[in-house]
Amino acid sequence: MTATAIAGTRVAPVSEAPLRKHRKRPTRLILPLYTVLLMLYLVTPILMMILYGFNDIPGERQTPRFWGFTLDWYRTMFDDPSLTQAVRNSVVIAIVAAAVATPLGTTLGLALGRYGFRGKAAVSFVIFMAIAVPEIVLGSSLLSMFVQAEAPLGFTTILLAHIAFSVPFVAVTVRARVQGMDRSLEDAAQDLFASPLVAFWKVTFPIILPGILAGLMLAFVLSLDDFVITNFVSGQLQTFPIWVYGATRIGLPPTVNVLGTLLFVAGVVLALLTAVSQRGEGSEGRPKEAPGV
Amino acid sequence: MHGWRDELELRRLQEVMRRKLTRRGFLKGAGIGAAGIGAASVLPSCGGGIGTGETDVTPADLFGGPMEDEVHFANWPVYIDKAKDPETGERYSPSLRMFEEETGVSVNYAEVIQENASFFGKLQPQLQAGQATGWDIIVMTNGWEFTALVRNGWVYPLDTTKRPNFDGNALDWAADPPFDPGAQHSMAYQSGITGMVYNADLIAPIATLDDLADPSKVPPDSVGMIKADMPDFVMINLGIDPTTSGPDGWREAADWLIKQRETGVVRQYYEQGYVDDLTAGNLAASMAWSGDVFYYQVWGGYPNLEFVFPEGGGYLWTDNMMVPAGAANPVAALALMDWFYRPDIATMLQEFIFYMSPCAGTQELILEDAAAAEEEGSKGYANKLRATAENEYLFPSDELLARCSFGRQLETDEEKEEWDSIFEPISEG
Amino acid sequence: MAAVDTVHRPRPHGIERRRRRVAYGLLFPGGGWLLVFFLVPVFIMAYTSLMSGGVLSGGFRFTWEFSNYLDALTGRQVFVLRSLSFAAMTTIGTVLLAYPAAYWIAFHGGRWKNTLLFMILLPYFVSFVIRTVQWKFILADNGPLLGTLKDLGIVPGDFHVLATPIAVVGGLIYNYLPFAALPLFVALDRIDRTLIEGAYDLYANRTQAFLKIVFPLSMPGVFAATLLTFVPATGDYVEAEILGGPTTKMIGNIIQTEFLTRARYPVAAALSMVLMLTMVLLTSIYAKAIGTEDETLAAARL
Repeated sequence: MTATAIAGTRVAPVSEAPLRKHRKRPTRLILPLYTVLLMLYLVTPILMMILYGFNDIPGERQTPRFWGFTLDWYRTMFDDPSLTQAVRNSVVIAIVAAAVATPLGTTLGLALGRYGFRGKAAVSFVIFMAIAVPEIVLGSSLLSMFVQAEAPLGFTTILLAHIAFSVPFVAVTVRARVQGMDRSLEDAAQDLFASPLVAFWKVTFPIILPGILAGLMLAFVLSLDDFVITNFVSGQLQTFPIWVYGATRIGLPPTVNVLGTLLFVAGVVLALLTAVSQRGEGSEGRPKEAPGV
Repeated sequence: MHGWRDELELRRLQEVMRRKLTRRGFLKGAGIGAAGIGAASVLPSCGGGIGTGETDVTPADLFGGPMEDEVHFANWPVYIDKAKDPETGERYSPSLRMFEEETGVSVNYAEVIQENASFFGKLQPQLQAGQATGWDIIVMTNGWEFTALVRNGWVYPLDTTKRPNFDGNALDWAADPPFDPGAQHSMAYQSGITGMVYNADLIAPIATLDDLADPSKVPPDSVGMIKADMPDFVMINLGIDPTTSGPDGWREAADWLIKQRETGVVRQYYEQGYVDDLTAGNLAASMAWSGDVFYYQVWGGYPNLEFVFPEGGGYLWTDNMMVPAGAANPVAALALMDWFYRPDIATMLQEFIFYMSPCAGTQELILEDAAAAEEEGSKGYANKLRATAENEYLFPSDELLARCSFGRQLETDEEKEEWDSIFEPISEG
Repeated sequence: MAAVDTVHRPRPHGIERRRRRVAYGLLFPGGGWLLVFFLVPVFIMAYTSLMSGGVLSGGFRFTWEFSNYLDALTGRQVFVLRSLSFAAMTTIGTVLLAYPAAYWIAFHGGRWKNTLLFMILLPYFVSFVIRTVQWKFILADNGPLLGTLKDLGIVPGDFHVLATPIAVVGGLIYNYLPFAALPLFVALDRIDRTLIEGAYDLYANRTQAFLKIVFPLSMPGVFAATLLTFVPATGDYVEAEILGGPTTKMIGNIIQTEFLTRARYPVAAALSMVLMLTMVLLTSIYAKAIGTEDETLAAARL
C-alpha cells in the first residue's frame, strides 16, 4: 500500500498496548465478557459456600436446605480450637511448601527448557511420572519410607511430601515459559561484559518471572488443598482438608463454611493488594523481548 | 560374634526394662530394623507377635505402672459430647474435662478417624514396623480391620481386672461380644443398627429389604446402599446368619444384590456419604445407620426421614475402643476407657450421640435430665431428650436385639479375598 | 529474527561444556529432592507390587509376585478406558474453556494480569471437598438449578445430573481448570507482539494471525496444560466418588478400593505402577507428536 498507510500502523508503541485499537467493534467485548463469565462460573460453589455460612440450621450439621439467615456461625467460628489449628497448619505449610518448591521447580524447568544434556529424557520421564502417580499409593509409600527412616510424622513430613509433589508442577509451568526463548539476548548481554549470572538475572529472569509466579501459585494451591497424601504422613497433626473430610461423614458443620469464607476473603484481599501495588509500577509492567534485528 | 538376632534379643530385654520411660517401648526388639519393608512384616513365627503370647509381657505388666500425665485419644467426628465454655467461648467436651479434673490426666482428643479402612491403612506401616503410632486409644468398628489389629498383636490385650465400671455396668452385648470374647482387646464405645430409611415426603413407607429393590415402591435411581454393610445386611434379611455363613450364603446375598442392581433403582453404593443425598432429596430410600437418621429427625430439622427396622432383621455393629501397641500411656488409656462406663458419663455422651450406649442405666438418667430441663423451662430441649430416652433403638429390648445380628467375622486372608471378590464387583461399574 | 532457533547455532566447544555444567547444576536441587522424596517411594511402590501376603496373616513379604499385575488388570479394561475418556474430555474441556480467558488476560490484561490470574485461582484456596460438596448441593435433583428447570418444564421430573458421567466430568473440568489456565497464560504471555504486528503488516487478518502465529507459539502452553490435566485426571477418584454413581467408577476409585477396602496393598501398588507407566508412555508419544520436546520453534516455523 502507500507509505503513509504503512507508517500509520507503526504508531502504536510496542509494549503493553492492546493490539489493533483501530476500529471499535462489538466483538472486542466478547473475550472480556467471556473471562468474566468464566470467573463467575469458577466462583459459583464458593458463593454457595459463603451463603450457607449464614444458614440458620436447626441442628449442627449443614443441610442442603437454606433455613434463614444467622450470624451464629460467625460468632462461634473460633470456638473449636482443633479447627482453627488445622487452618493455621494448612496455611503455614502451604506458604513454606510453595516457597521451597518454587525455586526447586524453577531450576528444574529452566534446565529442561533451555539446555540440552544427557539424561534430559530421563528427567522428563521422572517429572511425568510424578504428575501421573496416584496419590493414595504415593502417600502410602511415602509413609512407609518415613516409617522405615523412623522420622516422626507430622509437620515436617507433610512439608517434605508437599514440596515433592509440587516441584513437578512448577517445573512444567516454568518450562512452558522458557521453551523457545531466544538465548541471543543473554549472549548479547554477555558480549556487553555482563557476567553469566548478571545476564541471567537482568535478562532471562524477568522474562520467566510470570512462569515462576504461576508455578508459585499452583504450588500454594496444591499444598493447601491436598488431602490424600497429607492424611497418610500427617501423624497426629490435622490440616484443614483432613478436618473437613472427617466432618463430611455426617455433614459439614457450618463453621467450615465460615472458615472457608475467611480463607477466600483473605485471598481476595491479597489479590486486591497485588493489584494496587502493581498500579505504582506504571503501565510498563515487565520488559518484553526486544524486536529482532 | 553377635548375630543380629542376639543383638536384638539383648536390646529387647533392655527395652522391656525401659519400657515405661520410652515411647518406642519394647516393640523395637520384635525383629524389625533397617531390613526394609519385606522383612519387616511381623509374621508370628518371627520373634513373636508384638504383645501376643509373650511370656514376659502380660496385660498386668502393660497396665501395671503408675498413671501417666496425658492420654491421646483418636476418635470419629461427632462422637463425644460438646459444650461451650462460658468463659473462654471454646468448645470442649464436658465428659473429658471431668475426667481431667478427677484424675489430673490431660486428654488430647482428636477427631481423626473418618473410615476404618483409611485409618487402618495409616497405622498399619507403623504398627508393622514396630513403631508407636502416638495414639493411646483408637476406636474401630468390628470388622476385618479390627480382626487384623487383634490377630497381629497390634493392640494390647487389656487388663480385665482394672475396669470396675465396665464390670459393673456393661450391657451383655458389650461385655462379651462375639468378635472379642470377654472383651479382652476392646471395650465397646457405641453401637448401632444398620436398617433402612425412607423419605416420607417422596414415597410411601417401606418395611422389608425387598422393598429396596421394588420398582413399584421406589423410583429409579433413588435407592442408596452402604457398601461395607450390605453383604451382612442382605444375608440377615434373607434369613442367613452372617456369623456362621460361608461362600454359599455370600453368593446368595450377592445374587440378591445383583438382581437389585438390574432393576435400576440403585443410585449409588456409598462408603458413608449417603446422608447428603438423603437430606437433599436425591434418595427416596436407603440403607442407613440408626444414629444418623435419628439425629436428622429429632435435631436436624428433617422429620420426614423415617428409620425402618427391616422385618428380616437389623445389622448390629459396635465401635470399640482399643489401645494400639506402642501406646505411651496405657494406664491412663484404660482409665479413660473405663470412665465412659460410668452411667452419668455415658448419659452425657448419649444425649449427644444417637447410638446405643454400652453402659446400663442411661435411660433413667436421660429421663431425669428431661424432667430437669422441663422445670427450667426448656420445653423443646426436654422433649428432644424424652424422644431420645424413649427411642426403642437406643434402648433395645431383648426381642429387638434377638432380631439383630453382628456381621461375618473374616478370619483369614483367603476368606477375605473370596468375600471381596464376590461382593466388590457389584458396586463397581 | 527474534524467533529464529538459536539453541543449535554452532558455538565454541567450551561454552557447550559450561552450558551442560550449568544444566546439571540447575537440575541438582529439584532433581535431588525428587530423587529422595519421589523416586524412593516409587521404588517402594514397585517393591510392594511384587509382594504377597495379607493383613490378616500379619504382613507382606517380597516374593516376586508378578501375578499381582494380572490380578490388578483382569477385568479392569472398562475402568481404564473410562478413565482415559473422562480425562480426555477433561483436558479438552479445560483447555477450551481456559484458552480464551488466558488469551485475553495475556494480551489485554495490562497491569492487571497477575491479579486476574490470581483471581482465577482464588476459588481453589478452599478445600476441594467443600467445592465438590457445594456442587453437589447446586446440582441436587430438586435443588436450585434442577428444581427450577423442572418447574419450568424444561427437563423431565426424574432427570438428574448427579450420579451420571456429566456430573463427574463437569466436576473434573471444574477442579482442573487452573492447571490448564496457568500454563496457557504463561505461554501466551511470552509471545512477542511484534510478530503479530508483522503479520498484520503482511496483510493478515486477525484469524490468520491467530492461527498462524499465536496458536503455534502457544503450543508449549497447550502441551503443559494437557500434561497437567490429562495425566492427574486419569487417576483421580474424588469427583467420581462424590458426584458419581456405580456406572462412573474410574481407575482411581479401583485403586482406592484395592488399597483401602480390600487391603491388597501389592495389587494396588501394581495397578498404580501400570497407570503411571501408561501415562508416561502416552505423554512421551504426545510430546514427540507435537514436537515440543525439541523446541516448539519447529511448530513455530510457520
